[in-house]
Amino acid sequence: MGITKDTVLPTEEELTVQEINLSGPALRAGAFHLGIDCEFENNEFILCRNELNDPRKCIQEGKAVTECALNFFRKVKKSCAGEYSQYVNCLDKSSTNQDFTVCRKTQAVFDKCMLDNYNIERPYYGYFTETKVHKTCRPKPEPEPPTVYEDATPGLPPDAEKLPAKYGSRFHWMW
Amino acid sequence: MAECLRQDMPPSGGYKPIYYKRIPAKTYFNGPALILGYFGITAGSCYLYYLNYASIQREELERRSAQFALYPLLLAERDREYMKQLRRNRDAEEDLMKNVKGWEVGTYYGKPIYRTVPKDTLIEPSYGEYYVHADYKDFAKRRHLAYWS
Repeated sequence: MGITKDTVLPTEEELTVQEINLSGPALRAGAFHLGIDCEFENNEFILCRNELNDPRKCIQEGKAVTECALNFFRKVKKSCAGEYSQYVNCLDKSSTNQDFTVCRKTQAVFDKCMLDNYNIERPYYGYFTETKVHKTCRPKPEPEPPTVYEDATPGLPPDAEKLPAKYGSRFHWMW
Repeated sequence: MAECLRQDMPPSGGYKPIYYKRIPAKTYFNGPALILGYFGITAGSCYLYYLNYASIQREELERRSAQFALYPLLLAERDREYMKQLRRNRDAEEDLMKNVKGWEVGTYYGKPIYRTVPKDTLIEPSYGEYYVHADYKDFAKRRHLAYWS
């Protein structure tokens, strides 16, 4: 494996945080409101991840995402537990692929609860597929400098004398 | 014998006339009506198809949107677990090869796999390397998922 002793890997303790202990339908049911509630953290994490392309450099951002999601689901549990579990149950059992279209009634009840209690409105159905501008304080990563080879053949100095071609042009029939 | 022969003769009054006149099938539509009807029905069904198509696109967009909303959360969790497992793999290799003289973890007797990259670069291992200390069944399951999904 290419991971050597010189590769810095975070320790187990640095990476251990409380994870979201929810199943697929439960996550899906809360997806839209979660995306609105944690939009900044999510965008920050994904920006970091795509800019640096290294999971080791985005641990703090990732922890912020999980923390925000935990807080969101705590909020849901506090005020909308009944509506939420009803919606989850519907998503889970109404279709084979957790289809949203068959659960509009329970979804409306859940949406209303979230709107009344936390003022989180459900965005329109394609909101998270749109391209958005994210305002951040993260410094822009330096572009990769051009590769310098130590043993590259040195080129001619700029003021080298350029003699005329000894045997004329290769394309003698053209010019 | 001649008296016994009786020739078959036409019925009295002669044969009926041979009926050869063409009877065309009853026409419900004339040509222009058929052509216009074809275009009309096609246009109508194209509209219905469009409605169905648009609704399917909308549903798929909604599914994708929900996935994108959850993606950072799942990726963050996955990254943490992935880095933990990389460390476990490195420790397992160190433990496995501790009796081999001159063996250095992640290299072939001190010769690194990647020479031109900085030493701290994280090169993500392939499935075979990642699962090398795991049960073959787990590896096959993961590979199956990755290649068929």
